[in-house]
Amino acid sequence: MMAFVDRLRRGRFPLMVLASLLLLLIAGVATTVVSERGLKQQLAREAEAQADLLASAVSGALAFDDRAAAQDYVDAVQVNPNVMAAAVYDENNRVVASFARPGETISTIATPRDRTTRFEDGRLYVVRPVEEAGQRLGTARLRLLDTPPSQRFSRYVGLLLVLGLAVLVVVVLAVAQGALRRANRELERRAEALAETNLLLQQQMTEREKAEEALRQSQKMEAIGRLTGGIAHDFNNLLMVASSGIELLDRTDDPKKRKRLSEGVRQAVERGAALTRQMLAFSRRSPLKADVLDLPTQVEGLRFLLERSLREDIEVIVDLPDGLWRIEADAGELELALLNLAVNARDAMPNGGTLTLSAQNVPGGEGAHDTVCLTVADTGTGMSQAVTSRVFEPFFTTKEVGRGTGLGLSQVYGFARSSGGEISVESAEGVGTTFTLCLPRSEKPATIPGPAQTPAAETGKARRRGGRLLLVEDDDAVAAGVGHMLRDLGYTYVRAAQAADALSILEGGERFDLVLSDMVMPGELDGLALGNEIRRRHAGLPVVLTTGYSEAASAASAENFRLLLKPYGIGQMETVLAEAIGEGRAGV
Amino acid sequence: MTRTRRTAAGLAAVWGLALLIAATPVAASHGLEYAVKANYLVRFAAFVEWPPRVFSSAQAPVVICVVGRDPFGRTLDTAVRSQTAYGRPLAVRRPAAATELAGCQIVYVGEGGAAAMTAAESQPGLLTVTDEASSDERGAIHFVISRERVRFHIDQTAAMRRGLTISSRLLNLALTVRAR
Repeated sequence: MMAFVDRLRRGRFPLMVLASLLLLLIAGVATTVVSERGLKQQLAREAEAQADLLASAVSGALAFDDRAAAQDYVDAVQVNPNVMAAAVYDENNRVVASFARPGETISTIATPRDRTTRFEDGRLYVVRPVEEAGQRLGTARLRLLDTPPSQRFSRYVGLLLVLGLAVLVVVVLAVAQGALRRANRELERRAEALAETNLLLQQQMTEREKAEEALRQSQKMEAIGRLTGGIAHDFNNLLMVASSGIELLDRTDDPKKRKRLSEGVRQAVERGAALTRQMLAFSRRSPLKADVLDLPTQVEGLRFLLERSLREDIEVIVDLPDGLWRIEADAGELELALLNLAVNARDAMPNGGTLTLSAQNVPGGEGAHDTVCLTVADTGTGMSQAVTSRVFEPFFTTKEVGRGTGLGLSQVYGFARSSGGEISVESAEGVGTTFTLCLPRSEKPATIPGPAQTPAAETGKARRRGGRLLLVEDDDAVAAGVGHMLRDLGYTYVRAAQAADALSILEGGERFDLVLSDMVMPGELDGLALGNEIRRRHAGLPVVLTTGYSEAASAASAENFRLLLKPYGIGQMETVLAEAIGEGRAGV
Repeated sequence: MTRTRRTAAGLAAVWGLALLIAATPVAASHGLEYAVKANYLVRFAAFVEWPPRVFSSAQAPVVICVVGRDPFGRTLDTAVRSQTAYGRPLAVRRPAAATELAGCQIVYVGEGGAAAMTAAESQPGLLTVTDEASSDERGAIHFVISRERVRFHIDQTAAMRRGLTISSRLLNLALTVRAR
């Protein structure tokens, strides 16, 4: 039973609908029955009334045996078409007057009956006693046609139609509701599935984010490891060269040998400086100076360095046409970029080959700037597609540990981007690699004639210059080294370990030609503040600031101080100091 | 119960006989004619309304008096038995003198009872019934033989004068009705 109900509830016809249908049916049947009964009662009442009328009218005729009068009354009943037969019987149940429609019969002697109303075989029989003042005179009898079934049916056709319509409406509604419910259920199911999928997706996303974070972390660790390994190795090599060179310098007096050794040490130091510059450029802490450069001059100045970086089995072809446009870029960075490209080419050609450095003007189209494109091509091993696509990534290197830092091409890329230019690479395995570096054209006149060089040959022949300097340097070792160079250049100096000391020395009235100060120092005043203070108190006294820290350098440049970037050679020092003192004297 | 049924059966037999006779030509039997008339006398009681003061009590019978020569004999007594009118029983009285009509509601004036007509004039609530066969004078109801059947004339004026109301059903059956 419960299962049946349950099935009904789940079925296409819910209980409510079944109940409604049942209710409708019951209501219909009840209405029909009530109406039928009512109609029958009405029919009976009408017939009884007619019989009563007849009985009352015919009483006199019966009492006084007036058949004609009785017949008149009976005939009057015929007016009702439903009356099939009518008769009046006397007290002894003998017929006195009667009429019958065709097919109906009247018995001459009636069965004694009292008041009767009964339906039988589609006929309604009504018997009424004829009485007058309590005297029984006989009976009046009527036989009426009961409503025929067809007529009765036609009476309920309307009701049936309405009922049928109602049932139809209920069924249609039920079916529609069922369909709607099913659709809703389906929708709900889908929404749930969607929510589930969404949740899964979110979980996956979270997991993926975690994984990516972990990957980034591991990549960072790998990069740092690679960097540390590479740089440490490079520096160790350079330190090895420097230390061994210095030791050997002490052991020999042969000027030729000494010259070669000192040259080796100087080169190692230069390479170390280049390495740190490279790292700073990579970390974007090196200030980019926008110089307007003449490419042939720059490349020509670099040729010497290039040839020294490369091996004998590598032929260098420089092809720079006349009339190349000038470009605007940091000269040092350009030099470094070209060196990096050259070193990269060298390493790609372990068995020798040709390095071609060429350039050409590339007029910009609509909306694009004119550029000058430098091409560095080698005839080396080339790179696979996978390597080509990663070649500018920081710390990416194909060289074994110690051979490369992975920063070279990254520096080139950074330089190209920060100069407003572009770098591209084409490579075919076994054929070679071509890097194309395009830099924007400049209309300004050249500001730098050539790469800053400190030829080692000039070091020894440095002219002696006179002058008294105030050296502000907190690091004793650096102070000693710088002092050495200063004395070598013919300057005398007084050292102050802090900015405050320097200021008190200056207040002491001693005369100086120049103040050379480190920028990053302990104490309340740093080099920059000291410089500004000196400018305020002792106008005309030139100040040269020195630092190895690029941010400090750019701050000093912004304040228009002359700068000497660490590490610097004695030649650089000589030039900068001489210029500064010369300007100071001219100013005074 | 058994008694009542037997009585009813007997009555039915008598009435059946009476009607059967009534249906046959009156000339055939003088006795039958009077049986019908006796029957009619009883019936009149049901079609006439008397003023209540005529009766001494609610249960007082409707008294049919026969004055003059009595043509009915036992027939009338039989017809009256167990009949009622308006809940009152019926009774038959035969006064010694035709003028002694006190307590009568219906008076049948037989041969030689003409004096009753004069006496009746002074008695309200008295229905006078005369017969063509025995009297030329007409009462409120006057029996005649018409087409071999017992019929009657009605003098409604006379009846109303005495405070009587005659049912229209009875009036309908009269051969003539004398009205104002």
